[in-house]
Amino acid sequence: MRYLKFFLLLIFVFFCLYMQTRHDNHKCISVQIKGSDTMLNLIQALVEKNSKLKANVSITGGGSGAGLASLINATCDIAMSSRSIEKREKILAEKKNIKIAEFKIGLDGLAVLVNKNNPVDKLTLNQLKDIFMARITNWKEVGGEDRKIVILSRESNSGTHIFFKERVLRDNNKNAIEEFSVKSLMMPSSQTIYDEVFRNPNALGYVGIGFINSGVKALSIAVDIDSEYIYPTLENILNGTYSILRPLYLYTNTKQKDIIKTFINFVLSDHGQKIILETDFVPLKCKVKNKVK
Amino acid sequence: MKKNKDVIIETAIFMCGMLSIIFVISIFIFLFKEAISFFWDYNFIKFLIGKNWYPNSNKPLFGILPTIIGSFLVTFGACVVAVPIAVMSALYISEIAPKGVRNILKSLVELMAAIPSVVIGFIGIRTVVPFVKFFFNIPTGLTAFTGSIMLACMIMPTIITISEDAIHSVPWEYKEGAFALGATKWQTVRRIVLKEARPGIIAAVMLGIGRLVGETMAVMMITGNSANIPDSIFDPVRTMTATIASEMGEVVRDSAHYKALFAIGLVLFVITFIVNFIADLFLRKK
Amino acid sequence: MSKIEIRNFNLYYTSLHVLKNINVNILERKITAIIGPSGCGKSSLLRSINRMNDTIEGVHVSGEINIFGKNIYDIGIDVRILRKNVGMVFQRPNLFPISIYENVAFGLKINRIHSKKNAINEVVEKSLKSVSLWDHVKDKLHKSALSLTLEQQQRLCIARVVAVASNIILLDEPCSSLDPIATQKIEELIIYLSDQYTIVIVTHNMQQAARVSHNTAFMLLGELIEFDKTEKIFTNPSMNETEDYVSGRFG
Repeated sequence: MRYLKFFLLLIFVFFCLYMQTRHDNHKCISVQIKGSDTMLNLIQALVEKNSKLKANVSITGGGSGAGLASLINATCDIAMSSRSIEKREKILAEKKNIKIAEFKIGLDGLAVLVNKNNPVDKLTLNQLKDIFMARITNWKEVGGEDRKIVILSRESNSGTHIFFKERVLRDNNKNAIEEFSVKSLMMPSSQTIYDEVFRNPNALGYVGIGFINSGVKALSIAVDIDSEYIYPTLENILNGTYSILRPLYLYTNTKQKDIIKTFINFVLSDHGQKIILETDFVPLKCKVKNKVK
Repeated sequence: MKKNKDVIIETAIFMCGMLSIIFVISIFIFLFKEAISFFWDYNFIKFLIGKNWYPNSNKPLFGILPTIIGSFLVTFGACVVAVPIAVMSALYISEIAPKGVRNILKSLVELMAAIPSVVIGFIGIRTVVPFVKFFFNIPTGLTAFTGSIMLACMIMPTIITISEDAIHSVPWEYKEGAFALGATKWQTVRRIVLKEARPGIIAAVMLGIGRLVGETMAVMMITGNSANIPDSIFDPVRTMTATIASEMGEVVRDSAHYKALFAIGLVLFVITFIVNFIADLFLRKK
Repeated sequence: MSKIEIRNFNLYYTSLHVLKNINVNILERKITAIIGPSGCGKSSLLRSINRMNDTIEGVHVSGEINIFGKNIYDIGIDVRILRKNVGMVFQRPNLFPISIYENVAFGLKINRIHSKKNAINEVVEKSLKSVSLWDHVKDKLHKSALSLTLEQQQRLCIARVVAVASNIILLDEPCSSLDPIATQKIEELIIYLSDQYTIVIVTHNMQQAARVSHNTAFMLLGELIEFDKTEKIFTNPSMNETEDYVSGRFG
């Protein structure tokens, strides 16, 4: 038994050494990409489809904040972010003598999900704000049943969290101080928000539109009471009528390796933008938009 | 020659012993160093009893009272659920179960201890969360109570195994003496066995509490993670560990938020230290 | 008059025949010693008298042991009441890890003999006096019993039994872990107690049997070889095996 364990350990060590030498032989450059969980699958797809990218690419999530923090701490090469960089992060980067380049690569719509059995199917932005700040606590106040509202939010390290807060709670006002109610449940991922909404008729939460399917209901959102309620479809996001829309960014150090430049150029190319569309996100370029139509 | 060898071995053992002390001290110094600079800019009392945790606001608030209460509530609930069941199981395994059953139960319990906490959290989300919501008719099943139940499942094997050892090591002479005076099995267990095994059982419970306070993954998944002061155990809560774990990845090094997380770590460290200290007092009082 | 009558008593441990057809009458308020070489079954016989053998898996018995004319192996017998009345003291002092007072009070509490504190205090004091321990411990009744010397511990074990047992005390090599002086003191105590109690003592020490007992039973290989007055066993035994043993030829 003891010998067996020892033997297995030995095999493991050799395996590791082998992998190591293999990498050395190829003389590959390693690229670390880190950040928004929302963009994880998108960037993964982009890396796989880019045959020119001959490097060891590792992509990890953790949230937009985590990606940017890691870029500032010089532990990754590209930060994926579903929000724009904040002033305080810029200051921190300057302190560390790091110049950051920003690339907007696409758009994402956030859908507000409720349980399928919830009769409510539309809300205004103001109602949403009141709900997420716990000024409205019962579904009957917005035309639903007499049930308590369970607010689901993402963790504060999530770009989704920050974007939703700035767009809905603060109405894009940079000086506003509104926050999610302390009563909101901070869920670790979009999937857990989806799961809880799927099971719990009291819950509502926000996720990327890629999560919309027949198991849950996405709400139609109006900018104010007089406006039209818009359902979050790809078309409505492309034509800009849906209001909870956010940009997706890649951030890099300006002193970057060539290979990263090439990668970002690929992402912004027609081919790259098409991949963005295929992964349920919204591309930047009109040319692609026309192709879809 | 032989003497030299002795000296070398003794020194090596001494070094190993010192190493653990050095580790603890350096961890503490590191924590303290990172945390203390936070309190230059932020009032300690405000940190401890503040009710709002908004680290990313334009005017950030770092109040950890809700998370302290959350940690306490979940730990306390888990103890209330786990300790009686675990001690009873230990008694059953050690005193009542026939030999065959005993061996099977012991290995099963030890197997249970090996379940990773993520798996416990996952099982909790799929089974206990909907059940609690339905059974108590509350808005959501992601509550401190749910966390308590799942954590109880997690620490029970530890408590059972260690208490069983303590109960099993009560000398047969004591039981024989009690039986010879006309005591029933239950009287013997209650008045003699439990009394003699008490230090071991308390140590087991304290170890369990230590694991509870530090547990992160499962509570993050099933307590709802809401930094709100709960009205009851059926409200969502957030624990100190979950706060650190979910936010540590995001923070920029040396920012106020980063230091605040270290300050939470320091508070956590002090709390566990106090728990261990109390446990030690109990063990010595015997 | 005989207090304990053992009739055609057999004891088996799984398939092992440990006690073979034992017949003996143990007299009231007398000290009866059981002697014999190791493994002859003397402890097993003693432990049969308060059914302590029941706690060992795989033991079964046949025959009768009558105490006051009642067979203790009858179906309707409450073993707990039997064990309360027939007290037992073991080889090594087996005090509970609780206070001196609680050790003596334990039997009273579990058997619900007394529930009032005063009554319990009285019995504890009386019991400790009867084993001449009271003067030693009256100031430290609530200290741990394990802080006493071995001899005092064994005395306390006897006090614990005296507190609840009404008539019979069984002693299983009570002095085997004590030094000679302590042994002498415990022997004096045993003789003193025989005024009120029927005492059965198992011992591997023949001198002890000769010193304290009125009657002696000699056992060999699970059989009772001879039972008679102690002087007769040690001076003029009727069986050859007994003579060989008491004269030190084996055992």
